[in-house]
Amino acid sequence: MIEGYLHQVVTDDPGGESPGATLERLKGSFPAGATRRMTTLGLLVGSALEKLGPGERDAIVYATGYAESRALESFIDSFPAASPTLFQTSIHPSAVQQLMIGRQRPVQELQPLSGGPLLSFHALRACLVAPCARVLLCGGEERGTWLLEHGLASDRTFAFAASLTREPRTGALAVLRLSRRRGEGALGLAAFFDHLHGRTPLDAMVAPGWHLYLEWR
Amino acid sequence: MADSLSPVRVAACGCITPFGEAAATHAALLRGECALKAVPVLGRDGGDAVPLALLPGRTLDETVPPGWLAAVTRLGASIPEGDWGSPEMPVFVTGSNFGIGSLYALRRSGDASFAAWSSPPGCTELLRVALGWGPDVSILSHACVSAHLGLLQATRVIEAGLADEALVLSFDFLSPFVAGGFHSLKILNAEFPAPYRERDSGAIGLGDGAGFAVLSRGRGDWRLAGQSLYNEMNHFTSNRADASGFAHCLEGVVLAAKGRKVWFKGHGTGTLDAGRLEVAAASRAFPGAPIVGWKGSLGHTLGSCGLVELAIAIESAKSALAPGTVGGPGRPMSEAVATGNFGTAAFDGVVCASNAFGGAHAAFLLCND
Repeated sequence: MIEGYLHQVVTDDPGGESPGATLERLKGSFPAGATRRMTTLGLLVGSALEKLGPGERDAIVYATGYAESRALESFIDSFPAASPTLFQTSIHPSAVQQLMIGRQRPVQELQPLSGGPLLSFHALRACLVAPCARVLLCGGEERGTWLLEHGLASDRTFAFAASLTREPRTGALAVLRLSRRRGEGALGLAAFFDHLHGRTPLDAMVAPGWHLYLEWR
Repeated sequence: MADSLSPVRVAACGCITPFGEAAATHAALLRGECALKAVPVLGRDGGDAVPLALLPGRTLDETVPPGWLAAVTRLGASIPEGDWGSPEMPVFVTGSNFGIGSLYALRRSGDASFAAWSSPPGCTELLRVALGWGPDVSILSHACVSAHLGLLQATRVIEAGLADEALVLSFDFLSPFVAGGFHSLKILNAEFPAPYRERDSGAIGLGDGAGFAVLSRGRGDWRLAGQSLYNEMNHFTSNRADASGFAHCLEGVVLAAKGRKVWFKGHGTGTLDAGRLEVAAASRAFPGAPIVGWKGSLGHTLGSCGLVELAIAIESAKSALAPGTVGGPGRPMSEAVATGNFGTAAFDGVVCASNAFGGAHAAFLLCND
């Protein structure tokens, strides 16, 4: 069994908000001019992560199944005159890099994960085996357009960031425990986000052979 | 039963490149062969001819199933048998592009049959089924340090007692999406790469590649020590000019290599600024260590390069002969750059380093004690 503690939890559930409206809502979170080339996912994840004050000695674990769906769409549609800016922006860890490069803020570890029904388990396991004093778990998805028509993007936009320690500290918001147990289960990223957003507890199998207990205090 | 305090070791490792598996690739590098060929950057849609190293018989244009699947399946057949994908033996699949060639083909052709392979989760799931693994398959994607992240995650999961053994598989296969992207950045151009050599302008080549490693606490001859990561977050595609990112990443490896005589397998894509920074940082961290890079022959195999080149480094150590830096002409950036093959018997470790977009760095020491 491995255990961790959540201290700060930031969530953003914009529902059907348009990318333009998201930009207007969040641009004040970033330096002037920095948002010109930021993606919707970069704005959402960056805004949430920034509230945790990421530092050089933190480890950042970033979970997103489909990552930069709209930048991918636009990059592919830019061929045959491929856009170098969209190429850079479309890579999997881009949302975190958009914030951290904009702030010129190095970080020891960045662990970007993708996945499907087991993504939340894999991200939590990555957090709980990281040897850093503080791990910042962040993630999210952005709603795609033509990718969504093929089932290759999220149908929902959301983002979150949470700070996690292995040691108990005063004021922890929640405790989480991963333990081996017989049985099957899964916990996709959107479902995990809903537990963070609603501060709802969890006592369930989240992967074959793995159980997650999440208790809010 | 394995001692819970014994170090995690590499129990098996292999790769595929256009030259074949690890031993064949090592032999080709020793002969100074170059797998790169001038290929139109957009495949059947044409464009400038750029240096690409494709698997034999494979074209840049994707098919259904992907043209690379047979090669990965062959590589999968060389992975030692085990209950891979079970809670006790998880799998870590890493790469930077997964089925992106299928996504490009989907959009260009409108053929919906490309869709299933087109996302990292979808591509990995189909691969999981094809290779007969259970469901515990993590996916890591951090551009060209992806393989290092898989090795680190696998090591940590075993060290934490959460798994008995772990399999890391890394792959990246070229497509117009990837070639076109690097071509748009102008670092993939008509010139062939000459890693760690001074010339008027830098150039890289790209290559197909895949590799695997089985990590275990109970068995294996090779150990990965001082696994280290660092992210500069200075610029999307360039490094801090003071080389501090390279130095930060190598700090942990320097500690692990204390008292050892090592050689240095660098990233060495063929870009000038990054090459100079890497050579300078490696020479400061490991004075006297010969520096080699193999991407002038194999091309940059992107997210898989850390594992592909680990397999070649192990072949080098096993045969006591390491290939020198392969690539085009030019004056070496330093006397430390090994341009010819050299014996490894006098060394007791090799530092393996990779870099990626965002100023990401990853490195470890490979040793066999």
